[in-house]
Amino acid sequence: MRKILFVLVAVAMLLSACGGAQPTATPTAAPTAAPTTAPAAVPTVAPTATPLPPGSIQINGAGATFPLPVYTEWAYAYQYVDPSVVINYQGIGSGGGKKAIIDGTVDFAGSDSVLKDEEYQAGKDLQMYPILAGAVVVIYNINWAQPFPADAKIPTLVLDRQTLVDIYSAKITKWNDPAILALNPDLGGYLPDASITVVHRSDGSGTTEIFTKALSAFSPEWKTNVGAGASVQWPVDKAGNGVGSKGNQGVAAAVQNTPNSLGYVELSYAVSNKLAYAAMRNKAGKVVQADAASVQSAMADFAGAFDAKLTANIVDAPGEGSWPIVGYTYLILHTTSMEDCLKARKLLEYIRWSLTDQGAGKRAAELGYAVLPPAVRDNVLAKLGEVTCKGQPVLK
Amino acid sequence: MTDVQPQLTVNQAALRARRKATSALMLSLTGVMTLLAVVPLLSIIGYVVYRGGKSLDLSFFTQLPKPLGMEGGGVLHALEGTIVMTTLAAIFATPPGILAAFYSAYHPNTPLGVALRFSTDVLSGVPSIVIGLFGYAVIVVPARHYSGLAGGAALAILMLPTIIRTAEEMLKMVPHSLREASLALGAPEWKTALSVVFPAALNGIITGFLLAVARAAGETAPLLFTALGNERYDVGMIIRNGVAQNQSVLQIIGRIVDQPVDSLPLTLWKYAQQPYPERIEQSWAIALVLMILVLALNIFARLWVESRKRRLQG
Amino acid sequence: MLNQVKAIFSSRRSTWPKRLYGHGDPIWTLLLIFGSLLVPLLILAVGWMLWNQSAAARAEFGWNFLLPTLDANWDPIASNFQAWPFVYGTLLTSVVAIALAVPMSVGVAIFLAELCPSWLRLPLNWMIELLAAIPSVVYGLWGIFVFLPNIVAPVGSLMSKTLGQIPGLAPLFAGPMPHSGVSRLGAAFILAIMIMPTITAVTRDVLLSIPNSQREASLALGSTQWEAIWKVLLPYGLSGILGAILLGLGRALGETMAVTMVIGNSITGKPSLLSPGYTMASVIANEFAEAVSELHSQVLIEIGLVLFFLTLALNVAARLLVWSVARRTLQEVRS
Repeated sequence: MRKILFVLVAVAMLLSACGGAQPTATPTAAPTAAPTTAPAAVPTVAPTATPLPPGSIQINGAGATFPLPVYTEWAYAYQYVDPSVVINYQGIGSGGGKKAIIDGTVDFAGSDSVLKDEEYQAGKDLQMYPILAGAVVVIYNINWAQPFPADAKIPTLVLDRQTLVDIYSAKITKWNDPAILALNPDLGGYLPDASITVVHRSDGSGTTEIFTKALSAFSPEWKTNVGAGASVQWPVDKAGNGVGSKGNQGVAAAVQNTPNSLGYVELSYAVSNKLAYAAMRNKAGKVVQADAASVQSAMADFAGAFDAKLTANIVDAPGEGSWPIVGYTYLILHTTSMEDCLKARKLLEYIRWSLTDQGAGKRAAELGYAVLPPAVRDNVLAKLGEVTCKGQPVLK
Repeated sequence: MTDVQPQLTVNQAALRARRKATSALMLSLTGVMTLLAVVPLLSIIGYVVYRGGKSLDLSFFTQLPKPLGMEGGGVLHALEGTIVMTTLAAIFATPPGILAAFYSAYHPNTPLGVALRFSTDVLSGVPSIVIGLFGYAVIVVPARHYSGLAGGAALAILMLPTIIRTAEEMLKMVPHSLREASLALGAPEWKTALSVVFPAALNGIITGFLLAVARAAGETAPLLFTALGNERYDVGMIIRNGVAQNQSVLQIIGRIVDQPVDSLPLTLWKYAQQPYPERIEQSWAIALVLMILVLALNIFARLWVESRKRRLQG
Repeated sequence: MLNQVKAIFSSRRSTWPKRLYGHGDPIWTLLLIFGSLLVPLLILAVGWMLWNQSAAARAEFGWNFLLPTLDANWDPIASNFQAWPFVYGTLLTSVVAIALAVPMSVGVAIFLAELCPSWLRLPLNWMIELLAAIPSVVYGLWGIFVFLPNIVAPVGSLMSKTLGQIPGLAPLFAGPMPHSGVSRLGAAFILAIMIMPTITAVTRDVLLSIPNSQREASLALGSTQWEAIWKVLLPYGLSGILGAILLGLGRALGETMAVTMVIGNSITGKPSLLSPGYTMASVIANEFAEAVSELHSQVLIEIGLVLFFLTLALNVAARLLVWSVARRTLQEVRS
């Protein structure tokens, strides 16, 4: 038994010896500095000056896949900012993230879905912090009925609010449906007489919540028949042309692999995979593209909409330039009951960095997310300052 | 004596010809079916080697994953996780498995022996996803976090039937005369079992153990709700930190097993359902590594068992 | 007084090793019993956990939960759950897989046991068993990128054009077939490939265990080799082969990863084999970690309970059949 353990340790050491992925910062570890005494000695403003050895603090998070691309990049970049911290974020879906933070199986959760009252009660001291806003877009993969002329640019598919609802209600089931043709005169003759395979999420998802909130805002009928939530009963499934896939990645992959299909994903998944995504005719009747500007416009339309819990619903914005399917993505923390104060401080420092660091914000914008307006951000930072550990404020 | 050889009528001759033709047709059909059955195996191996081989290089084994959409990076985390969890599973499952095998081999007809054999068969049929639910309820929820420990325990439950069955078979094969000789010399039962029978059956038991490890290394479903996954899992870093902080070996091992862990099949499952081309290429490479691992263990174990059987029997 | 107690203890301690050496067998037996109790206890614990943790769901929905209906609810928002689409998906894919795999497996087993030249037997046996050893996720990967688009999608659209036009069969083969091949049919094909090794191996062993006297008697009476196999050997080993089929069915019911990757995860009311569907195992895999409410996770555990009982019953039936045939053969060999 002991032999097996030794073999295990030896194998692990071998593996790590040839590992090249660690940050270059050398551990300046003084063995005398026990981790329990470290918090007092570390200045709060300069995380790089920490005497802790690299990777000594493991922070586990899980939840939404909506912000997963930017969270993984931030976690990757942050090991150069503070090598002592390892951020592990698993994209398991907002529903899973909420359950995990309530059960206490993770240190923080990501969610685009707002906690319900009973969830606030179950989790005792939970607080949601908006981090970014993002657009949900409709991606599509069409086998055109005839080839486009060689030098022509393929026009972008345009949908309006009601058409989108009808597609997801299985009222429109063919690509050459008159409603779609009417919105896309350029594509007449190219849209095939083929049934639409409609892809949706198979896991509990904040992206689904944002999307179905938007559909509910677009159509009272959808609101009464289906409703909005992290996981809903899809009319297209009953009609037999719905397909479920796990995660934003799964939906993007399914659309990529399925000719004549359509699905909804967070914008960055469409951008980074070069998938075609539809333009929308918004509430004001203008055709808009999903991008940082149209998301910012939607956020501006609802600037005063934050409630006491720091959450806001910003779908179906009225502005002329606003993308209609927009949502905030949140981090969820326990505000008073975190047990490891050092870990709590490192976690809050990471969140503060991701909200305030210019490089972090720039990278998020490149991926298709919109950073918070300054007023909202200051509000969030103030709320973060209220987090306590063992009765003491975590960030001084 | 008159000649009683019956004269075949035309009809009977035709019938006989038809029967013979049917026989030949059906028999050759079974041959065709066998050929057909081998096609998927060859197709899988061919594709996995062809597509997996392309993106397999050293960094695949030595680096952690890069952020989504970035080129490069490897699956060191999953490789380490697989090693950690299968090792844990083997540690959990082997001792009780071998004890149960001893009981089953020597007391097959007692009520407990019958119950044991029966429940071993049943356990091998319980869907692995249900074992995952069990692991979640029994370990993850009380401990309040996902961990490699929970994943290892779930895998151990899956390994148990294979270990018990092969070990029992091997123990039964040890000649009775050996055991009787030891007992006649005055050695107690436990000493006979451990120092006479067990060493004689050891090779075969190791074979079964390898088969069980191969099965566990390829399992995904029980890990979904127990190990969860961890893209930044790095055993080397944990050990270096532990040494730097003067932690004891036990503390370090605790940190290795008591946090979310990834595994090769789990990572393959996540990567295969992503739109990023480099992740899909990596998932084929993981498939190749898994196949080599699992098939090598299997071939090795089977070769061994054949040679042992021949020696013990002949 | 104190000294006496101490003396007793110390004397005990000093004779401990010797006693263990001389009379260690009770402890050894206890250890063995502990080891052998573990497995039955685990089975009971799994059953108890599933039963216990699905109590609220069972109380809420009762048998209505499993009622066959084309218009089932699976609505986490309204907390209204019915499991029929998953039960149907599991049963349909498993039954179709069995229908595909059984003729194939029996054919291969006949070839391996009765016809195969001995130099070919070992490599073929190995290949069939390697097929069983490939991890389920690898089947899924191969399924998504190779098998579904190239084999299942064309076969499926052919089926919808031919079988789908026959009035009685139309609902079962109604198109359109998804272009990616993601469907219940795809899951059934993959399952068939995955359970074939199990059925083949057991059937082969059953055939090999049939005494040669049976073959010789049949051939001596003038039957052809195929007639001997079809009319004598297969009926003789029938219960064993049935057992093998039940074992395969059990494996198909519980298979998770490969099926989840190819079935399309759609809670559809359509009975068609060609449309995307869902199975019990895959809905647990997809939704359990992300369950949105306590009741949601309870109903998923209840589905696990149903799955557990189904596979339990199948395994019990299969083992009984295999045992009965083994006992019969043994008696006949002896007599």
